[in-house]
Amino acid sequence: MARKDLQGALDLLVLKTLDQKGEMHGYGIVLHVQRASGELLAVEEGSLYPALHRMEQRGWIKSAWALTESGRKAKYYRLTAFGRKELAAAEKSFDQLVKGVRAVMRYA
Amino acid sequence: MGEIFRRIRYLIHRRRLDGELASDMEFHREMAARAGHNNFGNTLRIQEQAREAWGWTWLDRLIQDLRYAVRILARSPGFTLVAVLVLAIGIGVNVAAFTVFDLVALEPLPVRDPGSLVRLERRSPNAYTDGAPNSSLLFYEKNAKTLSAVMGVMGVPRMQVDGDIQQASASFITPNYFTELGTPAAIGRLFDPKRDGDPTAPPSVVISYGFWQRRFGGDPSVVGRIIHIDKKPATIVGVLPYAFASLGGQRPDIWMPIIQQPYFVEGSHTLTDPGDSAIRMWGRLAPGVSAKTAGQELRALTDELRHQHPKDIWDKEYIQISPGGHMQVMQPEMYQVGAMVAVFTLLILAVACANLGGLMLARAVTREHEIGIRVAIGANRGRIFRQLCTESLLLAMLGALAGLALGCAVMQIALTKLDMPKWVSAAPDWRVLLFTVAVMFAAAVFFGLMPAVQVARQRRHKTIARQFLVGAQVAASCVLLIVAGLFVRATQHALYTDPGFGYQQMLSIDPRLGRHGYAPAAAQAYFDQMQDRLRATPGVLSVSLVKLPPLGHEVDRETTEIAGHKVLIYPNWVEPGFFQTMNIPILLGRTFYPGEKNAVIVSQSFARQQWPNQNPIGQRLGDDDSTKSIVVGVAGNAHINALSDDDATEQYWSAQPDDMPAMVVIARTAGAPDSLPAISKSISESLDPKIFPEIRPLKILYHDNISGIEKATMAVSLIGMIAVLVSGIGIIGLVAFTVSQRLKEIAIRIALGAKRAQVLSAVLLQFSWPVLLGLIAGTGIAAAGSKVLRIALYGINNLDPLSYASAIFVLFAIIVIAALLPARHALRLDLAKTLHND
Repeated sequence: MARKDLQGALDLLVLKTLDQKGEMHGYGIVLHVQRASGELLAVEEGSLYPALHRMEQRGWIKSAWALTESGRKAKYYRLTAFGRKELAAAEKSFDQLVKGVRAVMRYA
Repeated sequence: MGEIFRRIRYLIHRRRLDGELASDMEFHREMAARAGHNNFGNTLRIQEQAREAWGWTWLDRLIQDLRYAVRILARSPGFTLVAVLVLAIGIGVNVAAFTVFDLVALEPLPVRDPGSLVRLERRSPNAYTDGAPNSSLLFYEKNAKTLSAVMGVMGVPRMQVDGDIQQASASFITPNYFTELGTPAAIGRLFDPKRDGDPTAPPSVVISYGFWQRRFGGDPSVVGRIIHIDKKPATIVGVLPYAFASLGGQRPDIWMPIIQQPYFVEGSHTLTDPGDSAIRMWGRLAPGVSAKTAGQELRALTDELRHQHPKDIWDKEYIQISPGGHMQVMQPEMYQVGAMVAVFTLLILAVACANLGGLMLARAVTREHEIGIRVAIGANRGRIFRQLCTESLLLAMLGALAGLALGCAVMQIALTKLDMPKWVSAAPDWRVLLFTVAVMFAAAVFFGLMPAVQVARQRRHKTIARQFLVGAQVAASCVLLIVAGLFVRATQHALYTDPGFGYQQMLSIDPRLGRHGYAPAAAQAYFDQMQDRLRATPGVLSVSLVKLPPLGHEVDRETTEIAGHKVLIYPNWVEPGFFQTMNIPILLGRTFYPGEKNAVIVSQSFARQQWPNQNPIGQRLGDDDSTKSIVVGVAGNAHINALSDDDATEQYWSAQPDDMPAMVVIARTAGAPDSLPAISKSISESLDPKIFPEIRPLKILYHDNISGIEKATMAVSLIGMIAVLVSGIGIIGLVAFTVSQRLKEIAIRIALGAKRAQVLSAVLLQFSWPVLLGLIAGTGIAAAGSKVLRIALYGINNLDPLSYASAIFVLFAIIVIAALLPARHALRLDLAKTLHND
């Protein structure tokens, strides 16, 4: 269960990043999460690419090859309408998880 | 659905996607390196994980394993060839057996809506018959709402067509028969209820395609021609198609409407007699009606029928409904035979698999090196296990393909040899293919699993597993050989032993007077004259009458319980001279007086079981006092209607005047009864020209009957020999392997002074226990299982010591030869060379 939740959290981070920033390549996502979390969270590259593939396969994100500012070819990922819906659901369930966990913590 | 398409898309574009994934991560690594991070980790591993999202990793591994397996098998073509051959035999035998079962019992007839066709048979808790009287058929047809149609077929003795030497087989059918089956005519027309359901319609006949070709040379102008059937003119209206499928596999030459039966068989009361169950009944379930519902309705209708004909409907009678849309309506006994055949063929497969398992285990030792390397470079046990299973499956697949081809080839030959309906084809249908796949997996598990587990565990001592496999194949071969031995003995016994009655110079003459409406007195007069004239014929030694003639069409049998075990009784009704004519000795007492009542003669075996150590003469037999009969004589055992079943017993009753219309003449001649058929024909002709008696020489019937067991013996012996051959090959392989493994040890021992024979016996000793245990187990299984064969063994005991001893001896000899052949190698060992080798 824990593993699934962590995976869910990674998915949520990636989806949210793509939602806020539009198109992004994998390395950009890593950087963004790092920066936005105030260096608290570091996305493991080892789990990022499998996650990206999984989400692409599920139709949450789309990818296309494009040139970076430095002129190198890179794969850019973009949120789909379906992914946006999934993001909303994931955000909601994450909120509930946080609320639930917090409530339990306070109870003591 | 979308999931499947997405996966397939990935599969098709995998090469491109692989490339993209690699360059995507390459880009990431470059960027990370530029930023000073260097912790990307194992690119390949991540790539693998990402790929897993595509859902095709298992396919990758499978292809990898298959490729490897192909390489491994191709590298040892000798092993592969033997393995595929052994498997092909094991699987092929099973495929052929299943194909027969499929054709007979599973494949729907190529007729209109075969699924709703049902066979209707009269049953009650203590009686059964396969026919029904015409009155019942009409009643069900009129009143049953759960049946959309009722069809009837009445098979009759062969009939005379014009002046032909050979009589034609014939059936009378209800006129809806062909329309219900949707049979098209090859030429002309077939019967239809409107035209042929009327007794005043002009007599018409439909002929089979074969009869049309044989007798009329396929002449298309045959339609409309008038032929004489038993001297009655009738018009040929049409010819059945070449690939005609009939109900219950009946294929007579000529077909006539049942309503015209009284015209063709003059004087017959069959159609009007509610006690004459002459018609086999078939039906078609109304749309949406289950067999169970129909059964309930028919049961209610049968109760109504009992009110109309209280004498002719049995107590608690019901109509048994079984699926009718196949070549054969399966009866419980047929399933028993089927199960027996299945056990046999599966034993062959077991031998083949055990054999192959042994070979694979042996090979595993030589593969230890290779597997060790694979483990050393990181393959885990599961992966190795899967690899080995893939190999087994590939072998099984090759074996199954070869087996399927073999099975089909055997069937192709069998179909041309056997007289099968023309619509039957040997090509495997989906059921046969499915069966082949199932057998393939079963075989792969059986021969591949144990070696795979052993090897994957990297266990060094596989001796026990190997010994087990040797024992298993010896046991299975032993069972097959013993059964083959029993059959061989039974055949010999049947061929060379006196069956207890004379059959060499016997003739049975069946005029079927009852079917021609003869009253008892008229029948008595007919038989008196016939017997007198036969007796006056030179060369005729003895003539008598019997109701159920030897090896006849009809058999009557009852089951009773004596001292806790079931005994089959074959009753018969005979004239006093029967025993003399048949050459059956009267061992005690006397034969009947003419027309004697309340007297019975029993066979020796019955007397022995019913009254052990008592004098049977004067004992009483029967259910209640009023019908009790006194035993007046004991006759020698003569299973005239149960040749193959030595456990059968007989009871003879004196024929009464009422039995006369049903009696049959038997005659014994001094020499071969060659001229007698023609003479009796002319006697019959002069007595009553309406009657065409069926004249059958007993010798031919006897040999026909024996040929059944001969064929079975051939098949069983063949299967047994194949099994022994296969296990022989396996044992040769195993011993050769063991010897080659221990060559160095043997050489050292010999060099140190051990006798060669001693060393050899030490090497072979490891197989002696499994062989011994296998022989014991096989003998035990055969002894326990062969009880069911008793009925087919012509009096050979199923524990016949000679069969057992010879089977065990043959098997043991083959095993010894198989073991010594490769072991000779060790005896001719070049010591110096062996010891200097590496």
